[in-house]
Amino acid sequence: MKSVLFNMGYFLKEAYKTIRLNLLSNIFSFIGTVLILFIFALVITGWNVSNRLVLMLKEEAEISAYYEENLDEIDKDNLIGLIEEIDGVLEVNLVSQAEAYNRMENVLGNEAGILELFEENPFEEYIEIRIHLDETERVIDRIENIEGIEYVRDNREILNRIEGIVKTLNMAGYIVTAAVGITTIIIISHMIRQGIYENRFQINTLQLLGASNSFIGFPFLIAGLLMILCGGIIASVLTVIAINIGFGQLSGTIPFIPLPPKNELVKHVVVIIMTASIILGSGGSIFGLSSIKEDAER
Amino acid sequence: MIRIEGATLTYKDGTTALKDINLNIGAGELVYITGPSGSGKTSLLKLLMGVEYPSEGEVLVLGQKIAKEEKRRIRRLRRNIGPVFQDFRVIKGRTALENVMMGVRFLGFSPKKMKSESLNALEKVGLKHKYSSLVENLSWGECQRVAIARAIIRKPALILADEPTGNLDLDNAVSILELLSSLRDDKTSVLITTHATHLIDNQKDAVFIRINGGRITMEQGGRA
Repeated sequence: MKSVLFNMGYFLKEAYKTIRLNLLSNIFSFIGTVLILFIFALVITGWNVSNRLVLMLKEEAEISAYYEENLDEIDKDNLIGLIEEIDGVLEVNLVSQAEAYNRMENVLGNEAGILELFEENPFEEYIEIRIHLDETERVIDRIENIEGIEYVRDNREILNRIEGIVKTLNMAGYIVTAAVGITTIIIISHMIRQGIYENRFQINTLQLLGASNSFIGFPFLIAGLLMILCGGIIASVLTVIAINIGFGQLSGTIPFIPLPPKNELVKHVVVIIMTASIILGSGGSIFGLSSIKEDAER
Repeated sequence: MIRIEGATLTYKDGTTALKDINLNIGAGELVYITGPSGSGKTSLLKLLMGVEYPSEGEVLVLGQKIAKEEKRRIRRLRRNIGPVFQDFRVIKGRTALENVMMGVRFLGFSPKKMKSESLNALEKVGLKHKYSSLVENLSWGECQRVAIARAIIRKPALILADEPTGNLDLDNAVSILELLSSLRDDKTSVLITTHATHLIDNQKDAVFIRINGGRITMEQGGRA
């Protein structure tokens, strides 16, 4: 430990020399690392936004229950009460004929004139039920079995599709994370190995003088960490710029997409990228350092 | 200090470099190992440095057994050895001072102590005035002096010099041998391999070991 503290200046100097030794190759490695981390940051950003969207869609998942025509107000209230008691039901509202008409008018917008072709309001009164997406099947079964319910109209296909999208996004996120991790470790460890190869004479001399492999490897560890930390910082800056541009465009053109608060998102992504940089940099460097043992000491 | 009993060294390719070597070297001895090229001088030093392990027999250096399973301890053992190599093994792109400091960097010296001890070592080898020179700008004789300074800064119990005069002109070779032999004291033994026997004829109190064909063919001398 004393050796490490007393030699910190030497280690930094050696790390700098290691990077300088293969400057062009290391520049390419560095650019590769920045791009990979940037892609990773974009995936995390996309993941974050899509998770929020899915969460909102999940919260907005709703079904419509139509009841028999002969029910009076008390029966309807009872029906609503029974539905509210079902696990997985978040909110229950009675939608009157007039409200159903108004909603359709809003949906149709400029085309709403078509509704004037009807002499009477063509819409039925129904119960609007917001449910938990994961409980769709069970909730629908329960509601269909309640006495007085004529039929339930669900968006099961859409809901299933949303669930599918969620799973696909998660899977893609995991695959990209794994790919980024492996690629970064390979790049950094390759860089370290190259540095060790280029410095094999010095390493071998230090070994002959009695230095431990951990002492010999420390500058390479610092070089790897410095490279990836700088890569992480640049990738973070690029991501912040990309988020700013993305937010500007999305909020203008697709206003209904529920974007997370920008500062929160930026903080989240930067923390993940820098943490990943430290972990992957250490992992890659340690992996690369293993080649010191293979050095031709004998 | 050094005890070798029936040591044989056979390389992976099947070449036997040393055969049934027996040797005892005590503290404070000056030992010259001579012999023609390829006789096994360097292989003997490799054994003593723990760079190679005996295929047969036993090698003990400063009480440490030289064997594959002792790899870590051998690395620590080297901290008590001052190696001087024929090709100097000085690191280019570094100054003479930085090269000397490299010998003690991992021994827990404070930066201040490291620098002052390194300057002292350079002074001992007569090179203090060139402490800030890059080693590539030094002559071969000066590089060898830097390597010797790097070896002695550790105040080792054993100095192992492998053909230290091999690349030097006559004047420099004599001067380096004088320097190395002067490092011997009650605590420090100095082992020097050389094929230039004409340079060591007048050495007193030295042990002369001749190796040929991987075997010790002659051993004579010693302290009076």
